[in-house]
Amino acid sequence: MENSSPSSSPPPHSPTLSSSSSGAFLSNLPSRGFLSSTVLSSNPGGIRVYICEHETLPPEDQLIHTNQTNILIRSLQLKKQKGEPGPKDANGSNAAEGSRKRASEKVMDGRASAKRSNNQSGLQPEGSGSRTSDKDLYSLTVERLRVLLKERGLSPKGKKSFEELNFLKFMQDELVARLRSANG
Amino acid sequence: MSVWNYVVTAHKPTNVTHSCVGNFTSPQELNLITAKCTRIEIHLLTPQGLQVISLQPMLDVPIYGRIATLELFRPHGEAQDFLFIATERYKFCVLQWDVEASELITRAMGDVSDRIGRPTDNAQIGIIDPDCRLIGLHLYDGLFKVIPFDNKGQLKEAFNIRLEELQVLDIKFLYGCAKPTIVVLYQDNKDARHVKTYEVALKDKDFVEGPWSQNNLDNGADLLIPVPPPLCGVLIIGEETIVYCSANAFKAIPIRPAITKAYGRVDADGSRYLLGDHAGLLNLLVITHEKEKVTGLKIELLGETSIPSTISYLDNAFVFIGSSFGDSQLIKLNLQPDAKGSYVEVLERYVNLGPIVDFCVVDLERQGQGQVVTCSGAYKDGSLRIVRNGIGINEQASVELQGIKGMWSLRSSTDDPFDTFLVVSFISETRVLAMNLEDELEETEIEGFYSQVQTLFCHYAVHNQLVQVTSSSVRLVSSTTRELRNEWNAPSGYSINVATANASQVLLATGGGNLVYLEIGDGVLTEVKHTQLEYEISCLDINPIGDNLNHSQLAAVGMWTDISVRIFSLPDLNLVTKEHLGGEIIPRSVLLCSFEGISYLLCALGDGHLLNFQLNLMSGELTDRKKVSLGTQPITLRTFSSKNATHVFAASDRPTVIYSSNKKLLYSNVNLKEVSHMCPFNSAAFPDSLAIAKEGELTIGTIDEIQKLHIRSIPLGEHARRICHQEQSRTFAICSLKHQTSAEESETHFVRLLDDQTFEFLSAYQLDPFEYGCSLLSCSFSDDSNVYYCVGTAYVLPEENEPTKGRILVFSIEDGKLQLITEKETKGAVYSLNAFNGKLLAAINQKIQLYKWMLRDDGSRELQSECGHHGHILALYVQTRGDFIVVGDLMKSISLLIYKHEEGAIEERARDYNANWMSAVEILDDDIYIGSENNYNLFTVRKNSEGATDEERSRLEVVGEYHLGEFVNRFRHGSLVMRLPDSDVGQIPTVIFGTINGVIGVIASLPHDQYLFLEKLQTNLRKVIKGVGGLSHEQWRSFNNEKRTADAKNFLDGDLIESFLDLSRVRMDEISKAMSVSVEELCKRVEELTRLH
Repeated sequence: MENSSPSSSPPPHSPTLSSSSSGAFLSNLPSRGFLSSTVLSSNPGGIRVYICEHETLPPEDQLIHTNQTNILIRSLQLKKQKGEPGPKDANGSNAAEGSRKRASEKVMDGRASAKRSNNQSGLQPEGSGSRTSDKDLYSLTVERLRVLLKERGLSPKGKKSFEELNFLKFMQDELVARLRSANG
Repeated sequence: MSVWNYVVTAHKPTNVTHSCVGNFTSPQELNLITAKCTRIEIHLLTPQGLQVISLQPMLDVPIYGRIATLELFRPHGEAQDFLFIATERYKFCVLQWDVEASELITRAMGDVSDRIGRPTDNAQIGIIDPDCRLIGLHLYDGLFKVIPFDNKGQLKEAFNIRLEELQVLDIKFLYGCAKPTIVVLYQDNKDARHVKTYEVALKDKDFVEGPWSQNNLDNGADLLIPVPPPLCGVLIIGEETIVYCSANAFKAIPIRPAITKAYGRVDADGSRYLLGDHAGLLNLLVITHEKEKVTGLKIELLGETSIPSTISYLDNAFVFIGSSFGDSQLIKLNLQPDAKGSYVEVLERYVNLGPIVDFCVVDLERQGQGQVVTCSGAYKDGSLRIVRNGIGINEQASVELQGIKGMWSLRSSTDDPFDTFLVVSFISETRVLAMNLEDELEETEIEGFYSQVQTLFCHYAVHNQLVQVTSSSVRLVSSTTRELRNEWNAPSGYSINVATANASQVLLATGGGNLVYLEIGDGVLTEVKHTQLEYEISCLDINPIGDNLNHSQLAAVGMWTDISVRIFSLPDLNLVTKEHLGGEIIPRSVLLCSFEGISYLLCALGDGHLLNFQLNLMSGELTDRKKVSLGTQPITLRTFSSKNATHVFAASDRPTVIYSSNKKLLYSNVNLKEVSHMCPFNSAAFPDSLAIAKEGELTIGTIDEIQKLHIRSIPLGEHARRICHQEQSRTFAICSLKHQTSAEESETHFVRLLDDQTFEFLSAYQLDPFEYGCSLLSCSFSDDSNVYYCVGTAYVLPEENEPTKGRILVFSIEDGKLQLITEKETKGAVYSLNAFNGKLLAAINQKIQLYKWMLRDDGSRELQSECGHHGHILALYVQTRGDFIVVGDLMKSISLLIYKHEEGAIEERARDYNANWMSAVEILDDDIYIGSENNYNLFTVRKNSEGATDEERSRLEVVGEYHLGEFVNRFRHGSLVMRLPDSDVGQIPTVIFGTINGVIGVIASLPHDQYLFLEKLQTNLRKVIKGVGGLSHEQWRSFNNEKRTADAKNFLDGDLIESFLDLSRVRMDEISKAMSVSVEELCKRVEELTRLH
């Protein structure tokens, strides 16, 4: 456990206990006016044990949970909001590989997607300018989205690698993004 | 024992893992907050000149979790600091101190666990941005959790960020960055170490590549220290170098090889730091700088401390060193070095028993009371600790005297601070002892006293007088001339039965319920009042507890027949209060006393029970009745003082000291068997002493400090790993190792022999190079009357994964020396040794092996292998009972083996099929075995002999589960308290355990009805006593390992149950109502349990 190997180290600066330098380096130690006496108590009696009889739950909004949205999905959403193109950079797909299982699990979890779509609406108030708001788009099924895309002459296909993942929600994101960029 | 177990802490954790300093309890107050695994302690640093106490303990807060991180921080707009705590089971809370209510308020809390993720191998990291923009947590490999603050200082929803670095060693926030920036120290897959910085983009919930990075650092780099403005940047502490790194500067210095364990920042501008290393050497690291530019680093050795786990610079050159391996310390840094060249002055040591690697329970003083002797501490801070319950009397002088009926000490003049005379009363005479010029106790005479009769009471009185009460009269005697000055005679036909007095008053009772009150004047005794009660009087007291130290306003009177205690006002003897005691046992002794400003009436019964009431001095009202059982014989109560505090001594078959702490009465055993009378005897030669009458002996002794557990330290300077006591030779043997920190890091292992009284080293046996002492046993063999120490060893060679060779060494003790009788080579590490049917049972790697003790033709002895049993991963812990062998395996939980005599074979009978990584096992009774495992759980399993099928019988059924939150290293049968065969508590069998954090705990097996009662009480207490920070007790005690979490069963949390006694009366009433049991009964039953430890 102690793997200190002093073999090839340069000659260590060996601080000696010689008092030649005196304690200059210890001068002006900070003081806020406490502990000025060196006389010490011999632990006066026992320390009081805290017994908590009052309610200890935090204020309701301070009961903190972790955002359950998968990291990948979140980053995709955020990128989309910024109007950036889809996850074509290498980073994104790498991450997707890593989170394959997790992402699909999350899809099963209805809560996550519901929350996500809520976020979406909250973060996109200016979406009112487009003909179909994002919220509406998200409420549509993938099939319906495809129809919409076709109507506009856009490719109705999702990215293949993700189709293989049977990654419905992602498809939805992707298709919505395409629709939106067409709208914008 | 049974499956219904009660787990309680006898000694709280003392391993200090974290500490921090800040203004927590008020904007003006400076606090030191320390974490001791499952508790936090808040200390107050007191300001200049006000008082002598400089580090004042304020509060000890139990936390329902093992504390993983502890940080103080100040959100924007707050006047005082908040405390952030995260626990190992992924809960966190933010606490604030409410100055007005003196309560801890939960500002925020939450669960930061993720359903998926690999928990980090290194410690969990919890850090707070210096500008309070977010809290960062690193709990799972590859994930960094962020809890952002909004601009009002409120926490928002947490989120995870993917962190590319998988082997993270440390993460810190950098100071002075426009965006929150972390610096990550990590190891790559080629084991090279680097640092990298990331900005946290809160909006994007992602990392942005940071301003700089630095590759290929010291291979031992393990610690980051962020440097505050104006310098900013970070210090990277390695084993051979220290590096300062920032976006535009890089400075490095070589250091003497050392593993830095902790650091403490000295200056607010971050130019000086204290670094403590693995050898306990304290260094000062200085950043030299010019015009806010770092020009270099310097390091100076200051001196030696305990091996630190945390360092907090307090103020004005005072530093707190928190330690896991030795005592924590308060030190002062002196400007000038002492004679040894050290700048460190240790001012105070705070006892730490951790890590308790092994311990044994012995009765060194042969008084029927167990003491625990632990192997505590590690490396240079290793020690033995003798832990004893109760208060010790240290005998100063003693004389044989039979038949003592009473004792009183007297002063020679009213203002003499010391006692001169000791009056000892016998059935038909009274003798007076006094200190002579040679400070010896010799018999003397007080002429004015009757010496031919028994004395009922004696006291010094005002105007240099003494009072003696005998059955016929009250005599007032001058203490200077020793001559009689006045006498009050009992009416003819009546004799005085009981009497009491103080410096100016006498109260006595004659037959027929007559109560007489006298006042003492200068040479006169005046009968002031006489009253007749309906029954006989059994006991009296007029101990002054008001402002006047010589005069009492109230008298307490205990009665026969109606079994009551009454309060009368003085001098008019009007009845103020009458309290029926209930039952049929008469009160034998009453006492008015005052502790910590609260007045009490104590009333001792003839059967060893004690009732206490709070007494209102104004109204004479008695409230808060409580009953405890102290012994089985009548009790006599007396006050005495020690270290300027008043305590009460209850003399009986189980002498007890009653004292008050935090306004609560506590009862502590005294290490004496039976005391009939006690009186304080504060003489010049024996200051603060007590005179004690016991079993035909009069003893003068001093009393220990008044506290429940007494700990004596025997520093060893080396690390003791196993301990064993041998009654016959009155010795201890230990297996220990000594680290040489010279050029080559090396260690040497020893078997050492110590005297069990003086703890001096008697003899040592050095083991071979690479040979570790693994197990130790004192035993004897069949056909041999000698007693031996057996030592099991292992050769731990660097190239081997598992030892393949070991030895069993058998020593005898000859002339106080270890004498090697025989040795036997084994094919692996001897993890455990047990005496088994006159033979030796060893656990060697995966095998259980039985050895016979054989006599060779030449008269020498040897161990001969008889039989064995395979089938374990590593058989680490073995206990035996009769022919049964219980094995705790490295990872295969508990299995039960049986030795078959006829066949001379060991077979497996049953096993627990769970995959528990064991840390200790013990046999509770024939069918029930207890184990502890490395996720800090306890569990019990039961042998299923009545199972219908072989399959059922081969299974050990898990019957109890409990999260202890402590890593148990050893269970031992025994008790810390004196066991009286005829008391209730004496019937409860107990097991003691010792843990890494220095906890000594007790597991008590309860009868089923008591278990059910206490379980109900625990359920009700959970509703009343809330977990600090909103943490849940139920969740905390739930069994938890990587695979599953299950509610605790068949274990009760004694610490929670016993905190019933600390509740306010209102809450006690609430619980009493919910339980439909009176508060008095609840108190009594819980109080009884506290006497288990």
